[in-house]
Amino acid sequence: MERQSRAMSEKNEYQFQHQGAVELLVFNFLLILTILTIWLFKNHRFRFLHETGGAMVYGLIMGLILRYATAPTDVESGTVYDCVKLTFSPSTLLVNITDQVYEYKYKREISQHNISPHQGNPILEKMTFDPEIFFNVLLPPIIFHAGYSLKKRHFFQNLGSILTYAFLGTAISCIVIGLIMYGFVKAMIHADQLKNGDFHFTDCLFFGSLMSATDPVTVLAIFHELHVDPDLYILLFGESVLNDAVAIVLTYSISIYSPKENPNAFDAAAFFQSVGNFLGIFAGSFAMGSAYAIITALLTKFTKLCEFPMLETGLFFLLSWSAFLSAEAAGLTGIVAVLFCGVTQAHYTYNNLSSDSKVRTKQLFEFMNFLAENVIFCYMGLALFTFQNHIFNALFILGAFLAIFVARACNIYPLSFLLNLGRKQKIPWNFQHMMMFSGLRGAIAFALAIRNTESQPKQMMFTTTLLLVFFTVWIFGGGTTPMLTWLQIRVGVDLDENLKEDPSPQHQEANNLDKTMTKAESARLFRMWYGFDHKYLKPILTHSGPPLTTTLPEWCGPISRLLTSSQAYGEQLKEDDVECIVNQDELAMNYQEQASPCSPPARLGLDQKASPQTPGKENIYEGDLGLGGYELKLEQTSGQSHLN
Amino acid sequence: MEPCDAARPGFDRVAGAPPRRLLLPPLLLSLLLGRGLRVAAAASASSGAAAEDSSAMEELATEKEAEESHRQDSVSLLTFILLLTLTILTIWLFKHRRVRFLHETGLAMIYGLIVGVILRYGTPATSGRDKSLSCTQEDRAFSTLLVNVSGKFFEYTLKGEISPGKINSVEQNDMLRKVTFDPEVFFNILLPPIIFHAGYSLKKRHFFRNLGSILAYAFLGTAVSCFIIGNLMYGVVKLMKIMGQLSDKFYYTDCLFFGAIISATDPVTVLAIFNELHADVDLYALLFGESVLNDAVAIVLSSSIVAYQPAGLNTHAFDAAAFFKSVGIFLGIFSGSFTMGAVTGVVTALVTKFTKLHCFPLLETALFFLMSWSTFLLAEACGFTGVVAVLFCGITQAHYTYNNLSVESRSRTKQLFEVLHFLAENFIFSYMGLALFTFQKHVFSPVFIIGAFVAIFLGRAAHIYPLSFFLNLGRRHKIGWNFQHMMMFSGLRGAMAFALAIRDTASYARQMMFTTTLLIVFFTVWIIGGGTTPMLSWLNIRVGVDPDQDPPPNNDSFQVLQGDGPDSARGNRTKQESAWIFRLWYSFDHNYLKPILTHSGPPLTTTLPAWCGLLARCLTSPQVYDNQEPLREEDSDFILTEGDLTLTYGDSTVTANGSSGSHTGSTSLEGSRRTKSSSEEVLERDLGMGDQKVSSRGTRLVFPLEDNA
Repeated sequence: MERQSRAMSEKNEYQFQHQGAVELLVFNFLLILTILTIWLFKNHRFRFLHETGGAMVYGLIMGLILRYATAPTDVESGTVYDCVKLTFSPSTLLVNITDQVYEYKYKREISQHNISPHQGNPILEKMTFDPEIFFNVLLPPIIFHAGYSLKKRHFFQNLGSILTYAFLGTAISCIVIGLIMYGFVKAMIHADQLKNGDFHFTDCLFFGSLMSATDPVTVLAIFHELHVDPDLYILLFGESVLNDAVAIVLTYSISIYSPKENPNAFDAAAFFQSVGNFLGIFAGSFAMGSAYAIITALLTKFTKLCEFPMLETGLFFLLSWSAFLSAEAAGLTGIVAVLFCGVTQAHYTYNNLSSDSKVRTKQLFEFMNFLAENVIFCYMGLALFTFQNHIFNALFILGAFLAIFVARACNIYPLSFLLNLGRKQKIPWNFQHMMMFSGLRGAIAFALAIRNTESQPKQMMFTTTLLLVFFTVWIFGGGTTPMLTWLQIRVGVDLDENLKEDPSPQHQEANNLDKTMTKAESARLFRMWYGFDHKYLKPILTHSGPPLTTTLPEWCGPISRLLTSSQAYGEQLKEDDVECIVNQDELAMNYQEQASPCSPPARLGLDQKASPQTPGKENIYEGDLGLGGYELKLEQTSGQSHLN
Repeated sequence: MEPCDAARPGFDRVAGAPPRRLLLPPLLLSLLLGRGLRVAAAASASSGAAAEDSSAMEELATEKEAEESHRQDSVSLLTFILLLTLTILTIWLFKHRRVRFLHETGLAMIYGLIVGVILRYGTPATSGRDKSLSCTQEDRAFSTLLVNVSGKFFEYTLKGEISPGKINSVEQNDMLRKVTFDPEVFFNILLPPIIFHAGYSLKKRHFFRNLGSILAYAFLGTAVSCFIIGNLMYGVVKLMKIMGQLSDKFYYTDCLFFGAIISATDPVTVLAIFNELHADVDLYALLFGESVLNDAVAIVLSSSIVAYQPAGLNTHAFDAAAFFKSVGIFLGIFSGSFTMGAVTGVVTALVTKFTKLHCFPLLETALFFLMSWSTFLLAEACGFTGVVAVLFCGITQAHYTYNNLSVESRSRTKQLFEVLHFLAENFIFSYMGLALFTFQKHVFSPVFIIGAFVAIFLGRAAHIYPLSFFLNLGRRHKIGWNFQHMMMFSGLRGAMAFALAIRDTASYARQMMFTTTLLIVFFTVWIIGGGTTPMLSWLNIRVGVDPDQDPPPNNDSFQVLQGDGPDSARGNRTKQESAWIFRLWYSFDHNYLKPILTHSGPPLTTTLPAWCGLLARCLTSPQVYDNQEPLREEDSDFILTEGDLTLTYGDSTVTANGSSGSHTGSTSLEGSRRTKSSSEEVLERDLGMGDQKVSSRGTRLVFPLEDNA
């Protein structure tokens, strides 16, 4: 008898497994289909549908089938018993059912009005992932890959503008969306579509922050394919990557913002606590990510691990993952840490890897990125039908559409105007329009929205986010190619050629002079950082750069000899490291010119006080500084942690 | 533990069918965060008035608690990752210094052990806060439970059944519990990449040459070893019963089960050393092939032993019907998994052949990965064994799809699976080290452990020596005594035995088995693995053989005795060594399957009979006509694998074609076989190896022919 029942339970276990396998299989097939379709499209050079769009279409179709073709099983709705003695919810529950003890694991809390929809269609419920999966499994590879491939030569040239767009722009966009949505919510309350008190201003801000995470994969893929102007590419790419980090931390700090008494009133203490949270988490995650990358760089530098590419790849992968886990364990944001880890890895560790490992790591993360991205987009399509608590509110959706356009406009045009005051190579109107146009929403917005769908406002937000993602990916993504031609943005630019000689038709008047100016275009603070990076960090962390013995003062000779790799003395190194040197050399040269009159440390001190007045003699070279003190402050926090 | 009978726990039938959400993602997730969210909602009798405020506060508290648990999970995963990092660094040091006595897996285990000791004795034990509720009106367990605790609803999911005796010892230490993974994680996440990689790298040239022997070792050998170990252990158990050391039931089927799980050999350590030292390729292929197929057999064997359930009252007497049912299950699952794996491999090959996916290596790699993973899922969904399906999928992929991939995708897929394999393997081994201390239900029984050690050596000996003797009757190229000793010696146990043992640790017998398996793995990996290099030199096994050089470039493989030394003569003769069934399969493969599934091989239009010319033209890729010579070069890797066999075959087809005088390609199977068996009779003694082996292998050999034809 006992044996029999055990067999029964084993069989049950078996059943569970089947269920899981079938659902995963569905996703697998969707992805395979997507891959084949994408191949077809690529083969025929259709550009109006990106793979992510395709994945969404297939997801939608599958969701439709699941929703309407599977019969909802009629479940006897049991009564929910009240447990008087149980006064708290323990993590594990042992239930004794006719002398069989079962162990139950706590899963989550369900709000009252969500109980009934759960009893609908079991298949739909099974096709629903736990939202944390996005944050812990699917997003990290995507974000890391984005950071790891940021090693574009144009990125550092436009660093100032990118940071401005990412930080200031996201903040602006968050506030604008929040305000507009608050207006719409008020209107909805007037129209009796919403109960008063359900939807706070913080909820609106929350929506604004999650909606600010742009993700123009589609546009970037097309840009990449068509070799669009690299400056535009890097502006968009850099913005979207850093954007995500800012939006995630912002969302988190807004959700933490909890005023003491009246949830609607403004509470200065709570507000500053939120701001402090934002800064703390951001800086902490940044430090964590870079620390792990630096450890990796040192390990790969001082061991000869490059003899065994597999071990090297394994180490690289594990340490990058550790950055995520450590950040999570420390209560910071893993994704942000992973992003900066990726950037730092690309900057330092990449140069230490063997050529085999370089290719391997790139391919590995590319592959993971591809799969994760398509799974998310596929799931988005599916979720439109399988998620059971959708709240479609026409007014809210309309408002959200309006809000994201207005906010995007408020983000791009004024900021570009301010940046253009300082930039030598202006961001032209067609670039601005294109950036305005490329405000697609994607995986991050979705993941942030699905993370919490307990309350009614959150469900409404989720539905709206989903629709916005669909709309932007399909319509905007599909319209990229026409838009490019309409805006007359130059296409087919060879990245390598571009630096040297390229009098493009658009910049006739500003041609060659303008090009050389681009190089001088980052602010002094950044240049300072480059000098420091080139002289000290690179030699310490990688095999490249000038030997430390020449850059460090004499008295730390032993340390410098210890830290400098033997290869740095030889000159074959320069060739071997061309890529990174090229990245830096314009800036490094620049720095040399600038630094000759005055010593760097003294300037740093000056700089902090004088930043508002800097448009003095160096105004010709560096406009980026003119963007105001706010940005500089942010920069300092992150820069500081980098120095550590 | 306070059973509150009066309280009625809220039971809610959420769904009738056993619904668990997507299993695998939660598994992955549970790695990351899932284990036991600890929520202490302050359930003070909340008066309705202060509802909103206090509920907001409570929500915050709950969130904080959830966050805390997430943090702990991150820490526990971080522990593993840092362990792996440490292992990698140490391994590099060892490899750099050419220290060979400790393999990376052994090292991973040592680090695991150290961390296990720290966790066990360095962390304070917390008391579990469990509640036991009895419920009288429900007669079965639901997978989801909704509990209403003072107005708030909490969802619980079924984790497992606990035997009543164990309730008190469920969890003493929170941290130990955190680092204990759901055993299914091994089967669903960690083992598939390992096994797939093994199958994917089976594409060794010597594997097919020794296929007969490998299959004999894998199937017959595993069965023999399983029965011998099972019987010996039954003796030991009887002895223990007499000595009064056994505190719970231990049946004969349990012994057989132990025999099955412990028959899965996994000589990673030995193979790594062989690979590094370039030991004799034949020995390498024999060991590697055996260990790979071995795993598949052991998995299926153990699951069919579990399925063995005699009908009558006496549940532990021999029941012929149940026995045959078990055998049927074995055959069914094995062939089903095989078919599943082979079919998806073939589908992938066809897809990659007929689309021009190779222009986009990323897409190609992704497709390859997804298809291979689908095999696993499909097999699991159909009730077969996913791991076995993945193994055969890997072999098929290597054999066919690999040839269709672009050069970049080839290296990508190889490297991808290499990394996955490396990480998964070291993860398992470090978990093994950890489990010795963190697993809470160890049953150490010295008699059983000693008995098991004796049994595995006897089982291994009874498996290798007699089989080698029989095989040597048929083989031209005998398996030398030193090879036999080496194979006997390489009976390491590893990841597969561990995963099978940890899968079910509910009963006393199973716990004892688990402990014993763990100790056996430790012992064999450290002692035997460390002794490989001395053993190699002691047994005079040649080392430093260049595998590329080994088959001498003589096209006239019929001149057997032309070699100047015994070594090269042996090398030549090896080629004729497979029985004709295999050769039949090769010719079929070369003439039909390869052209259909890949871009290589002779065009189908020449090999198929004239009446299906249209079909043949349809299926043959244009590249085959255009440039057969370049193809050969480009495909040298694969041709080399087959080279020796296609060479012999090629010769015989030439005679066949010569006699027919035309190149219509109507070289039918029968014709070629006849000519071959007549002309080469002198050379093939394999046929004479006795009907016994052929018939015993016949059952399995039918599969490839069947489902590919």
